[in-house]
Amino acid sequence: MTMDRYIVQHETSYAYTAPVSQSWQLARLTPRSLPWQRLVGHSVQIEPLPNERRDELDSFGNSVTHFGLHGAHRMLRVRMECMVEVSSRPAVAEAAPALSQVEGQSQSQSQSGQQQQQVQIATPQRAATALSWESTRDTVRRDPAHPEHLLAARMSEPTLLLPLSEGARLYAAPSFTRGRDWFEAVHELMCRIYTDFDFEPGATTVSTSVDEVLHQRSGVCQDFAHLMLACLRGLGLPARYVSGYLLTNPPPGRPRLLGVDASHAWVAAYSPQHGWVEFDPTNNQLADQRYITLTWGGDFADVVPLRGVIIGGGDQLMRVAVSVIPN
Amino acid sequence: MLRDLLSGYAALEGRYDELLAAPGEPRPHWETFLRALADREGTEVGDTLSLMEREIRENGVTYNVYADPKGADRPWEVDPLPLLLSASEWQEIESGIAQRADLLNRVLGDIYGAQTLLRSGAIPPPVIFGHSGFLHSVQGIHPPGGVHLMHYAADLARSPDGHWWVVNDRTQAPSGAGYALENRLVVSRVFPEMFRDLHVQHLASFFEALRQSLLRWAPKGDGPPLVVLLTPGPYNETYFEHALLARYLGFTLVEGSDLTVRNGCVWMKTVEGLKRVHAILRRQDDDYCDPLELRSDSALGVAGLTDCARRGTVLLGNALGSGVLESGALLGYLPKLSQQLLGEPLRLPSVATWWLGEPAAFDDAWRRLDKLLIKPLDRSVRERALFGADLSAAERVALRAKVAARPQRYVAQEWVHVSQAPVLERHPDEMLSARTVGLRVFAVATPGGYRVMPGGLTRVAVDGDSRVIAMQRGGRSKDTWVLSDAPVNAAFSLISNTVQAADLVGPRSNLPSRAAENLFWFGRYGERCDSAARLLRVAIGGVLDHDAEPADGVAPALILAERLGVIDSLDDPAIGLLRAATHPDEAMSRRLHQLARVAFNLRNRMSADNWRTLNQLASDPIFQRGASLPLALVWLDRAVTSMMTLSGFVLDGMTRTIGWRFLSMGRRIERLMHLCTALQTATIEGRNHSLEWLLELTDSIGTYRSRYLVTPEWLPVLDMLLRDDTNPRSVAYQVKGLGDYIAKLELSHGRFASDVLAPAQIALRDLTPADLYPESEAIAELLDLLRKAAGAVSDELTLKFFSHAMSRSVLSLVA
Repeated sequence: MTMDRYIVQHETSYAYTAPVSQSWQLARLTPRSLPWQRLVGHSVQIEPLPNERRDELDSFGNSVTHFGLHGAHRMLRVRMECMVEVSSRPAVAEAAPALSQVEGQSQSQSQSGQQQQQVQIATPQRAATALSWESTRDTVRRDPAHPEHLLAARMSEPTLLLPLSEGARLYAAPSFTRGRDWFEAVHELMCRIYTDFDFEPGATTVSTSVDEVLHQRSGVCQDFAHLMLACLRGLGLPARYVSGYLLTNPPPGRPRLLGVDASHAWVAAYSPQHGWVEFDPTNNQLADQRYITLTWGGDFADVVPLRGVIIGGGDQLMRVAVSVIPN
Repeated sequence: MLRDLLSGYAALEGRYDELLAAPGEPRPHWETFLRALADREGTEVGDTLSLMEREIRENGVTYNVYADPKGADRPWEVDPLPLLLSASEWQEIESGIAQRADLLNRVLGDIYGAQTLLRSGAIPPPVIFGHSGFLHSVQGIHPPGGVHLMHYAADLARSPDGHWWVVNDRTQAPSGAGYALENRLVVSRVFPEMFRDLHVQHLASFFEALRQSLLRWAPKGDGPPLVVLLTPGPYNETYFEHALLARYLGFTLVEGSDLTVRNGCVWMKTVEGLKRVHAILRRQDDDYCDPLELRSDSALGVAGLTDCARRGTVLLGNALGSGVLESGALLGYLPKLSQQLLGEPLRLPSVATWWLGEPAAFDDAWRRLDKLLIKPLDRSVRERALFGADLSAAERVALRAKVAARPQRYVAQEWVHVSQAPVLERHPDEMLSARTVGLRVFAVATPGGYRVMPGGLTRVAVDGDSRVIAMQRGGRSKDTWVLSDAPVNAAFSLISNTVQAADLVGPRSNLPSRAAENLFWFGRYGERCDSAARLLRVAIGGVLDHDAEPADGVAPALILAERLGVIDSLDDPAIGLLRAATHPDEAMSRRLHQLARVAFNLRNRMSADNWRTLNQLASDPIFQRGASLPLALVWLDRAVTSMMTLSGFVLDGMTRTIGWRFLSMGRRIERLMHLCTALQTATIEGRNHSLEWLLELTDSIGTYRSRYLVTPEWLPVLDMLLRDDTNPRSVAYQVKGLGDYIAKLELSHGRFASDVLAPAQIALRDLTPADLYPESEAIAELLDLLRKAAGAVSDELTLKFFSHAMSRSVLSLVA
């Protein structure tokens, strides 16, 4: 089995125009350990040195670094550096239906659209035991004893950021015809989001709603992931938000620039037949060895890499720099 | 007499009548009460009602409605007639509620713990996960003693066959116990002899149990146990109750911004510094409690509170996430859960409820829609409950389509034809009429199991056949008397029990910084209102005084009024002054409202008398109708008198705690500033005017006349207003008082303002009688120095005592 190794650097810094007297922060900056992902080394450096710091697991199993600063400060820098090994994820091919060859271009939430690349998706073969999307939904409901099904049930419900959306339901409907195979339908939904929506950094903010994205037909990876989640959950199908990194390649002939990458987001949808399958509507492809998983949750609010409350601070200038370097 | 009282009283057909077993035939447990009531003369009943209404208003008992366009507190309406429950009947309710609270607590423990009930399908997961009260962030938190539900309330309704049913469970931050207490205080005073003779069970032991339980399960460390009651603030609909309970239970009333988290513990920001908080009785909704881990848009919460609960350093009553038990679909699963978890049948049934996520229930519901109510499982979803019987054929189709799209989000419920009880009507005559009632009952966790309040809050629907009872829709409430066969333990009464000798506290030192700041500004704004009223009175008097010799130039009182922003310009002073005094958007009204706003934030610290006086002032009828200058003068007299009454309360009614010092310093600072400006105006613009106005403005005319038998002259007037430190309206008096307060505070809190005040004190001391003439350089310099010093002391106070109450938390969500 092949294995790729990456070094990821993720630095968030704040400059405040007035002193901050108190700051409480949660950092979700520890990549998960998964059957196909191994964390070789990892550190989170915080400057100024926090007065308190503690690691906890949240209810999704993500590692959360709680820290607090109780002295006046004018800047905050949180720098994560890690080395991760990623091998291929379990194939969905065996049980999945035949799909037409899909070509995708790779995009991540980055200011430049330079790092595009041609990707070929493996063509899964149809299996005899295809499970319709309705049976997928009902099986999860009927069998809560299954180890994955409680989380799946939780991930079928609306969240604060993703309330039920009639618009999303209508948008999803054409792909979810009666009795259609789950994988086929979800895969088509991903393709349609990729085709119908423009990747446009700056078109949205962290608080843009799914309905607004549906209206303006553009957004970034976070918006597409949210839209796809709203579509699936509106149908009662379990799916979760995955936050992580995607290796992007520099344009031919140019050196790899550090810090120009960004964190990425995609969707893992659940089927009792396939388990959690990771769909990337931003790039129209299933997650592969280039996808480094950081954390997952119900929506963006559950996985924000750095979330906090401060007192004071005036205006703040925030900068994020992410580098993913093959090692 | 009894027949007269009952004539015209009848419950609706098909309802249980709480009062009558048959027409004209009272139920046995009502007989004594009814006869005693009938024996009272008609006028006496009328007087009783008036007395009650006044008491309620004067106690400031209110229930705010957020959406109230007037933004006003609505007075709490209490019917004087209690709902009577017999001892045997109560025992059933009591044991049923205690069992139910225990069951719900176990369910909650499972939901946030092992989740075996969800895995086994005993509760379908969407019933829990589909409810906004489920908070995944609190998964795995084990509260002290396993008590998730510290307190619990249930809404009961009685069906035509006389059985009680639970209609709702209230598990997040149940309200109503305080109102029940207030109703008891009012109603038991109306019928003291009946209250005694009927052996009505007392409520005090319930509240004592709540207090004891919080203290018992609170974690220890960092000083004596400190319990606070967390309120969303004065704008919350049940704020009155929060303030009442805090006072009654002896807990400090705090808002989220009064608390902070350090090193995994919760601390209260007081003027004495940070104090560790061990238990929080929470009246704030779950998801607003912590902007760090829960709703990030909450401006009310305490950042890091969830983690403190996780680490077990603070007791929360109730635990975070307890609101999920209010999922409307849970009711239908409780009978089985009771068997499974307690091994006994559910004693008090819930009104029949089906979760429509079960296909069989969905089909069945549509066959019997006429008898059912369809509502969302989550009551925070703004979607009204629909009564099947009310719907047209087309509406049924539409409802069915809507529910079928997401059946797991709805429940179907039978509805109870709720019982009716007598209320006393005032109009047209005093008479009894039947109204639909519901009963909210309360339980608190104790080491020996849940303890139920012997009584409750009886809520009265607005109209006779109402199917929904809600305080927010307007409605009255009643006291609830649980009768007992034997005399109750009178030693354990409301009065004798709340405070034990061991609980006697000295002057309260847990003064939250925010409250200190409000007290300080209450002092300043109060003085500002007083000085504006006096100034306007002097200025209007001058305008009206036709006999006065026309002096040169503009009267100094007018110049001062303009300088202080009381009037906008000196053109047409008669109109300007009238507007300033009586227009709802002008100086006098604005200042009074400023004062009322600060007072509002201090409501739990103010007496009812204070509050009433202030309310009367701010809403004086003068602001509603046009007035003339003479009428304005009458009003200003009234205002000055009321302001004096308010200061009298402060002087007379407040203990000399640190809070009182902040209030007094606010008054001294404001009065000093005002005096300086007035004297500056008088010595410059008013050199050639008579000095009567200045003496009148400073309330010193009587003192002057008693000392000097001549018309006011500069030397004695300046001496009285500057140097005489026995005159409470003099500069010297303010400076002396301010210096004393600062010195006392500095003893315990370190230096902060004595250096700022010192130069002004020295300059004042060095002033000699030879300096006392209007053109004096020394006076000009002194006044300037004093004004600056007063401002600087105010700044230093803010920096030293109020700055850590800086509240605005900025939230950062970063990609």
